Amino acid sequence: MSGFRLDKGGRIDRARSLKFTFNGKQMAGHPGDTLASALLANGVGALGRSFKYHRPRGLYAAGVDDPNAMLEVTDAYGREPGLRAGQVQLVDGLSAQSVTGWPSPAFDLVSGFTRFASPFMSAGFYYKTLKWPNWSWYEEAIRKAAGFGTTSNTVDARLREQRHDTCDVLVIGSGPAGLAAVDALKGSGRKVVLVDHAACVGGALRWEDAQIEGQFGAQWADGVAQAFKAEGGQLLLNTFVTGAYEGNFFTLIESRIDDTGLAAERIWKLRANQVVLATGSVDRPLVCQNNDRPGVLLSAAARQFIGEYGVAPGRSLSVFTNNDSGYLTALAALRAGIDTTVIDARVQPSEAHLEAARAAGATIKTGVEVSNIKGGSRVKGLVLSDGGHVACDAIALAGGVTPIIHLAAHRGSKPSYNAEAAAFVCPRLPEGWFAVGAASGARELSDVLAQGHAAGQSVGGTSTSVPVAKVELSMGGIEPLWQAKTGNPKKMFVDLQNDVKASDVALAARENYVSVEHLKRYTTLGMGTDQGRTSNINGIGILAAQTGRNIDAVGTTTFRPPYTATRMGAIAHHRQQDGFSPRRYLPGHADHMAHGADFEDFGWQRPDWYSDNGPNREAAVDVEMHAVRNDVGVFDASPLGKIEIAGPDARAFINRFYVSNLATLKPGRIRYSVMCHDDGIIFDDGVVACVDDNLFLSGPTSGNAEVVAGWYEQWRQTEWPDMKVAVAPVTSNWAAIALAGPKARDLLASLEPDFDVSPEAFAHMRFVEGTLAGVPARVARVSFTGELQYEISVPARYGQSLMETAMGVGETLGAKRIGMEAWLRLRLEKGYLHLGSDTNGRTTPHDIGMGGVVGKKPTDFIGKRALSLPYNASENREQLVGLKPVDQPIQIGARVLADGYDTVPAPSIGNVTSACDSPSAGNIAMALIENGAVRMGERVKIYADGQVSEAEICIPVFVDPKNERLNA
Amino acid sequence: MIVIRCPYCGEQRQEEELTFGGEAEIVRPLEPSEVNDEVWTEYLYFRDNPKGVNHEQWCCSAGCGQWFKVLRNTVSHDVLGVVTYDKILKAEQVA
Repeated sequence: MSGFRLDKGGRIDRARSLKFTFNGKQMAGHPGDTLASALLANGVGALGRSFKYHRPRGLYAAGVDDPNAMLEVTDAYGREPGLRAGQVQLVDGLSAQSVTGWPSPAFDLVSGFTRFASPFMSAGFYYKTLKWPNWSWYEEAIRKAAGFGTTSNTVDARLREQRHDTCDVLVIGSGPAGLAAVDALKGSGRKVVLVDHAACVGGALRWEDAQIEGQFGAQWADGVAQAFKAEGGQLLLNTFVTGAYEGNFFTLIESRIDDTGLAAERIWKLRANQVVLATGSVDRPLVCQNNDRPGVLLSAAARQFIGEYGVAPGRSLSVFTNNDSGYLTALAALRAGIDTTVIDARVQPSEAHLEAARAAGATIKTGVEVSNIKGGSRVKGLVLSDGGHVACDAIALAGGVTPIIHLAAHRGSKPSYNAEAAAFVCPRLPEGWFAVGAASGARELSDVLAQGHAAGQSVGGTSTSVPVAKVELSMGGIEPLWQAKTGNPKKMFVDLQNDVKASDVALAARENYVSVEHLKRYTTLGMGTDQGRTSNINGIGILAAQTGRNIDAVGTTTFRPPYTATRMGAIAHHRQQDGFSPRRYLPGHADHMAHGADFEDFGWQRPDWYSDNGPNREAAVDVEMHAVRNDVGVFDASPLGKIEIAGPDARAFINRFYVSNLATLKPGRIRYSVMCHDDGIIFDDGVVACVDDNLFLSGPTSGNAEVVAGWYEQWRQTEWPDMKVAVAPVTSNWAAIALAGPKARDLLASLEPDFDVSPEAFAHMRFVEGTLAGVPARVARVSFTGELQYEISVPARYGQSLMETAMGVGETLGAKRIGMEAWLRLRLEKGYLHLGSDTNGRTTPHDIGMGGVVGKKPTDFIGKRALSLPYNASENREQLVGLKPVDQPIQIGARVLADGYDTVPAPSIGNVTSACDSPSAGNIAMALIENGAVRMGERVKIYADGQVSEAEICIPVFVDPKNERLNA
Repeated sequence: MIVIRCPYCGEQRQEEELTFGGEAEIVRPLEPSEVNDEVWTEYLYFRDNPKGVNHEQWCCSAGCGQWFKVLRNTVSHDVLGVVTYDKILKAEQVA
């Protein structure tokens, strides 16, 4: 390509210059340029090499439709491996790099091979050829030669946020159609959001030669936008609508670009009552021999480069067209002083257009096609079907327009072929949608404005004056031409990004890939990052001709979001770290902080261990466990679930959930049990306290506190609406601490309880309500550690002071703060299961040794019936057992090998679910093992980290098997 | 993104504020111990999963917490009817 900056014209700021580099070479552009227009202005031809054949490729379009111009771009905020040059606003200091072609785009070593091999590399080449012996033999070499750049492992410095909003009307596209709708809505009071992907409004008015209401088109556009903003309208520029979803829900990505690059992105989740789809169209190329050489570009792109950026695509331009719009390009080029030849495939073009072009000085040839384009990494000229030659350094292809219907199609609107416009449009739109302008197939500016205005009125607009347009030449008529009749189809490119040629489409048709979806997947037509904007329709046209069908019968492939490539960061970045989910802090958080807690997220920020207790985790955990077994430990148990079940039917209600019989639970008593889903699988465990006959307190596990409350509520509402019962989740209303250890009673006594704490009055599994240290308290004597243990709940606002007070009065008793790790190891010593670790999605109450409890319960409970289903009652179920090592320490997650196997591979009969080193019992573990309950004392082989070791199955109680400490 | 107006609190709720509860009108046998395995597994596991109009249970989980019933087209996501949980929605009444 031999582009250059024109002396005048364009909407760029010629007074200021921006420096950038391309492949290390210093270049300059102006504010208002895109990277594409700046590269063209600097005369850059080949930007890279094609995907499969490594042919040199240059700019093909000016924006989102460009299949070629994928570059690695670095600005002040980060590096991106594959951006489309036309979608990058030029900023000072930007650097761009080719991502294909080695050692350089102009001289590529692989292309030597592919030039020789390309006749053999037809559609399905990889499927057919590289299957022997298998793909992995070839993958590495092919991956190196293909692809668009490499990812970087660094996190960019762009800011990200998300925003939710609603509006009355969403207008997508700020070209003449969208602006006419906005203009009609003036003064209507509707909440309107107007979106455009460009940096300024106007759409094609930014470069086309048109007048509206007596002003230049771009001027009129700016005026409408000004009035819109003055009224409080929301104008989102540099914003793509990336997806349309049911309920008129849209995702938008807004970019904020400052002087040095893309500083921030905002993802919008926007819901609109009504929608004006004014997304315009892109030009379609003509498929002819060597139509991919650098210097060939779309006709509308040529007009945009000249009109918007003041850049000429070349010194002499040939326009190959099958419709009247090619003459608009010719006129624009001629006025910019570029030698122009029009090659019109039609025998009888419009007289008005011919005359205008001739008057401006164009050479015109009608009834001929381009049969070959000459040149290598730059266009040198072309050969016509009548044998004639034209010398030129740029070629514009005008094959008609393709309306941008993606968003309607995301919603399932079926595109159908409009023969007059020679384009696919969506005639049946989602409710509340109006498609206007080029997106609906309209071609003339007056129609575009009238449609936009009418849509504006349909969505609440009150203005009645339709903007009046004046254009020199109409877009006019078209005679579809899907593929040039002369020339070599093996050199005619349909999809430039994926190197799909006309011959590949024909081959697919011969091999019976006649469904358009099969064609796409077999040839990769339209599967690139440009989503086939320039290639799909031509491909469909060629397939229709090859299979003797109407183009409408072939149809389009499915359109899916996102509309254009979207940074993962824009979607996910704000969901990192604190943005991922709100942190929940315990009422006693400040106390934990003050004593060196190392926090871990268990849904709550919970102390894992305290540096007050030791210099590192193991040392601290050891001290904490020792305190519980010998003195007393204070553990923050606030997240433990607390759900009040109240009402005359409370007992009957709660009894339907737990597998134990709660009909006999007396006031002031507590029972441990598990609950199941109705398929008999355990989903929670915990204790239930009977406060009185009308009030039960259910204590689900911390992680399930909300889930279990929801579970109760769902059954109450949907299955048993007549039960007189209320469910109140009060987990975070109460702060809770556990006192555990032989001196726990002494510590409780020194907290000034107004109730008797003697072992006789307050035995294991009893519940007391009273006051403690002057505040209301609920105290349950339950144990998760196997020691004498009390769980004290006080209103959450006293949580911090309870923690401090308990530690203060406990000092003389040797009290220590206990973190989660010590707590979980203590329970493992006692063989108490940890839900979700020691149970899985197949574990029933029978599998954890609660079969007897279940059997004794006379009434139904959720999950009971399923326990007698064949699978749940079958032999060889995995049962929870203890494990002791024979030779090497046991690791959590280790597989238990089937009998008779000494090494892997081997079938598994279970796995280790918990393991730790206990100060008193050594290395201990629990495991789920098939038939484990009847295999006590047997040895099994276990496998972890590449090693097989031996372990002995035992009863999972490693301290105090007689419960003497527990009942002290 | 599905939007449903909760029949209890009257607020328009987005999918993110709601909880889907599967097919509605699944009857749990009143006497579980008296039905055979086939009947019980039918209740437990078998659902129609139609392409088209589906009876569903939804909960206004981020709002008032109430369960209600919805008639929804699983293809277009159109919400055809919403009633409180004590009522039964019939497709022909809505259409």
